[in-house]
Amino acid sequence: MAISRYSRPTSVAQACALLSDAPGRTALLTGGTDMAVSLRSGRDVDLMVDLKRIPELHTLGWSDEGELTIGACMTLREICESTPIRERFPALTEAAEVVGSYQIRCRATITGNLCNASPCADTIPPLLALGARIRITDPSGEREEPLDGFITHVKKTRLKPSEVVTAVIVPPPPPGSRNAFMRIQRLRGHDLALVNAAATFNPKTRAFTLAVGSVAPTPLLIPDLDDACPSGATPDEVGERLAERTLPHISPIDDVRASAEYRRDMTALLCRRLARRLMGNP
Amino acid sequence: MNPRTALPIHHTRKDTESHFQHEAARRHRITLTINGETATLEVPPERTLLQLIRGDLHLSGTKEGCGIGECGACTVIMDGQPINSCLVLAVEADGCDIRTVESEIVDGQISDIQQALIDFGATQCGFCTPGFVMSARALLERNPDPSREEIAEALAGNYCRCTGYEPIIDAVAAVARAAKSGGYRSPEKAGAPYVGGDTARVDGLEKVAGSAIYVHDMVLPGMLHARMKVSPHASARIVRIDTSKAEAMPGVRAVLTGRDTDLKQGLYMRDKDVVARDVVRYQGEPVAAVAADSEEIARAACEAIAIECEVREPIRTVQEALAEEANLVHENLGDYHWMQGVFFPKPGTNIAHHQKIRKGDVDQGFKEADRIFEFEFENPPVQHVAMETHTAIAIAKPGGDVELITSAQSPFTVRNLFSVTFGIPHSKIRVKVPYVGGGFGGKAGIHLEPMVYLLSKMAGGRPVKMTCTREEEFHTIPSRAGLSSHIKTGVTRDGKITALEIRYLWNAGAYADYGVNVGRAAAYSGAGPYCIDNCKLDSLVCYTNRVFGTAFRGFGHLEVMWTVERNMDLIARGLGIDPLEMRLKNVLRPGDTTITGELFTEGHGRPDLCLERVAEEIGWKEYFANLPKTRGEITDGKARGKGIALLHKAPAMPTFTSCAVVIKFNEDCSVNILVSGVDYGQGTYTALAQIAADELRIPVEQVRVTFECDTDFTPYDWQTVASRFTVMGGNATIQAAQDCLRQIRDVAAQVFRAPPEMIICENSEVWVKGREEEKLPYSKFVMGYTYPNGNSIGGPVVGRGRYIAQGLTNLDPETGQGRPALNWTYGAHGVEIEVDTETGEIEVLEIASAFDVGRVINEQQCRGQVIGGVVQGLGSALNEKFVFDPDGRFVNPTFTDYKIPTAKDIPAVMKQFFIETPHPQGPHGARGVAEHPMVSVPSVVGNALANATGVEVFQLPLDPEAVYLALKHSGDRKET
Repeated sequence: MAISRYSRPTSVAQACALLSDAPGRTALLTGGTDMAVSLRSGRDVDLMVDLKRIPELHTLGWSDEGELTIGACMTLREICESTPIRERFPALTEAAEVVGSYQIRCRATITGNLCNASPCADTIPPLLALGARIRITDPSGEREEPLDGFITHVKKTRLKPSEVVTAVIVPPPPPGSRNAFMRIQRLRGHDLALVNAAATFNPKTRAFTLAVGSVAPTPLLIPDLDDACPSGATPDEVGERLAERTLPHISPIDDVRASAEYRRDMTALLCRRLARRLMGNP
Repeated sequence: MNPRTALPIHHTRKDTESHFQHEAARRHRITLTINGETATLEVPPERTLLQLIRGDLHLSGTKEGCGIGECGACTVIMDGQPINSCLVLAVEADGCDIRTVESEIVDGQISDIQQALIDFGATQCGFCTPGFVMSARALLERNPDPSREEIAEALAGNYCRCTGYEPIIDAVAAVARAAKSGGYRSPEKAGAPYVGGDTARVDGLEKVAGSAIYVHDMVLPGMLHARMKVSPHASARIVRIDTSKAEAMPGVRAVLTGRDTDLKQGLYMRDKDVVARDVVRYQGEPVAAVAADSEEIARAACEAIAIECEVREPIRTVQEALAEEANLVHENLGDYHWMQGVFFPKPGTNIAHHQKIRKGDVDQGFKEADRIFEFEFENPPVQHVAMETHTAIAIAKPGGDVELITSAQSPFTVRNLFSVTFGIPHSKIRVKVPYVGGGFGGKAGIHLEPMVYLLSKMAGGRPVKMTCTREEEFHTIPSRAGLSSHIKTGVTRDGKITALEIRYLWNAGAYADYGVNVGRAAAYSGAGPYCIDNCKLDSLVCYTNRVFGTAFRGFGHLEVMWTVERNMDLIARGLGIDPLEMRLKNVLRPGDTTITGELFTEGHGRPDLCLERVAEEIGWKEYFANLPKTRGEITDGKARGKGIALLHKAPAMPTFTSCAVVIKFNEDCSVNILVSGVDYGQGTYTALAQIAADELRIPVEQVRVTFECDTDFTPYDWQTVASRFTVMGGNATIQAAQDCLRQIRDVAAQVFRAPPEMIICENSEVWVKGREEEKLPYSKFVMGYTYPNGNSIGGPVVGRGRYIAQGLTNLDPETGQGRPALNWTYGAHGVEIEVDTETGEIEVLEIASAFDVGRVINEQQCRGQVIGGVVQGLGSALNEKFVFDPDGRFVNPTFTDYKIPTAKDIPAVMKQFFIETPHPQGPHGARGVAEHPMVSVPSVVGNALANATGVEVFQLPLDPEAVYLALKHSGDRKET
């Protein structure tokens, strides 16, 4: 049998208690769009904890400083439809808009996309580039961790069996800064990314952040971009510098979706296109 | 047949009890609102909402197409949002409000969206339609005034393989528009004559309503569920199979392996074991099957079967297949049965069929040439992707009778092949085919039926149903074969072809199936619609260790026209001449002969007019005049280009292909048409209704074409393939209608005391010429005429019509000369594309298509065939391919990595033109046009790509990566 026990707590505390008491294989259920596929492929779960009936996980909060807290069960549709998110974090909106079909986005959640830890998850590069943190709750309490480093390998995270990711926190963007997401896919309909990338640019400090996905076992936040954008550099020059700094970090593979060569070249292209978009006239 | 055990497997009472106690403990009680009514049920936690809706709530309008949320066939509205019910657990829906397609029908009336889908010709096979209805409803609820882009985005999560999406988008847009002016209303439909009009699809209502029942939906009393276990290896010898664990599982009723039968099945070659026996020849081949009380148990039992194999090096390519001392895929090829005189396998090799065409003297032709060009082309295997996967129910009845209910294109072929395999008389086999959710050639032959029958027999005759998962549909069920081709052309300086030498090597996979006939048909069509005086063509159908090839819309023609039509453009470019002019210089004209020696006549049709029509539509002449300047020009990373391509195809079928039609009059003067050609979406039944109504002089609304073919009741038809059904079934319908009228006239002649030839039948009434005031309604005659004193004459009117292909001959084994084709349909495409040279993505901006259909029977449905075929062709052109790993394993057998076009992937502009040169034998002069729209779509895109970028690509598909890498590795780029 696929699921031995299914439980539907109404508070985070209950969820944590269930998880810490449970022997065997536990699984957290939010949107279920990946979970249902893995169950169909034969995944066995001893305890399935459905988080969707926990009201506090369905909230979108803004602090006075403009920090965004996205509850774990917020769907990608809800994120796409949020005007303040689109205004401040277009990279996140643009990424959420290309995950699956409309039907998928009505169910899939942002924490599901994170915790499934697919190398090609679209919402991870923007969250990395935006410096997002995740809130993790376990029976002993709650803490925040940077998203960078949370995903350790293909489909692997640092989340322990007794822990729940309850929210994603996106710090306020510096005033005047811009961010964007782009990707390469096989056709215009719903598809998985062959390469995806998100970047932020602060015209005042000329600081770039950049994250790429589908080109390594985990999505990557590219380090050492401090001098990527010297003053006076054209967008194309900056794009080239971003690509130069990015390519040494990636390790794309040949697989059913694309060759390593295509992925590498498209990574460089997305660097150039993101630089053009973010440095062009708004 | 050596039945190992006659009885189902026994289990101990203790096992069974503990099993059920445990199952009961896992269940959750849920309450939900379904279409406005509250339902409380107990479900195990892994049951999906889709399983709940279809299995527990018995609402079969919602379909399963993939099980992984890619295809959208299972879309329902949950708390106001459209969702894939296959991805939601039933327990998650506790307390939720669910609406399925059944909720759209209020007081027996279909909704505005459903009506518009009928009116716009937006349903064909209908399997995906309920999902579209729900996606569209959710869209209009959240956004009453969507743009076309917003409609496409909202519908992109729903796959449709038939319609090409444009009619669906049009229908939803029309409903949205009408909402501002009082709601949607259907346009008026024209009356008689119906032929040439756009009579609404006869099966439209059932399909949009979700009430059309497919085999997919059927459950019979006592029915068991079957699953198969397939080989993970491409080539292996089976050493040992251990089924003991599976047999011991509670709920398992039958386990079938190759030990249980040595029978073989096959269409033209009987080369395939019902279940692999000793040898597996492709990854995905069934090696065992289980029938059990539930699908879950059957699946678990399959997993419990242990198979020990000796893995062998697979034959992957045609080159490996043809190599000296290659492993033989079929060591006993010479012992098989095959259709003699038509196919020529070579025992001791991997050649399943070698078709030769020899005309004129190619050596002399090449001597006469000014230039000789040689190219090689490649096509990958691709899948039909009918939205309903293969599914069959078999009942092995006491006394040896067999009943099969199957999602198949050709009930009589299923019956015949089944009879041949098992040696059971035809009269003891009954094959029923209800609505079929798409075929495209993939359901033409026999597939699951023998395996399911054996399971039923082993399970004591209980009905057994097996439905392929989408993965099995890809890796177990046959596909379109791959093709490698080599073409050498001699031409004069001004582009006249003097000699053509072609070698087509088909990677047909493990079994011959239709593959041998594809190799044959694509040979006699293999030079394109051109007059070639000197031609040497060899078409070799090769066995390899891959999933095997079968019929696929176009039957080899898309593949060979990729070679032929790219070749024409490459030569024209090499000669510096206009490819339009070059084609017109060589195109078949009356008095010419084809490469098999068939005389081309006026009645054949006008390929030249098709080509000229599309060339004019896309502005080819002006474009070509500037092409030397614009070729390879890149602006802002984009290059634009136009292209043209010709095509032809004729039905590929035996010379004796025939069909029959029965028309039965009912008391109220309505009629039922009984046929055994299957309308699995292509719309033939509507065409037959129009033809019959016109012939019988009754309103088309009174014609019912019976949707369920049943070999016990409906008359013989060879197969529903090859775009032949409207032509052959149409002719037989005319004859059957005339037979009905003759019966009416004979009785009326006695009643009116006039000669039968003086009797007029018109407008459902009968009278004697010149005595119109005495006229009587048909209804007085169709069940027999009764005189005032009670005496009666005549009787129920039942008309019979038939048609058998005329004038066809077998092809000469050495030269291929002969007359293979009932009727040729010619066509052409013109296209404009934009290439993103930085990513390699091709966007088709406009495609214009023209076909000489002889006579348009139903314009809306002709357009529907063209739009749907063009979009399916774009799938082959731009995305679709099977990918195999080095061990010959199929690595993309799901919709995650086998991508088909969605509503967002269609060209902004699609235009259809019909040339009407009557075919002398066609009903009202009509020809078939079901397959043709797909043919040459890749060719025209490839030609436009070369014109846009200067880069020639020889291998399909033209996906972004392939195009990007071709551009990257060519030195032929001009930046501006």
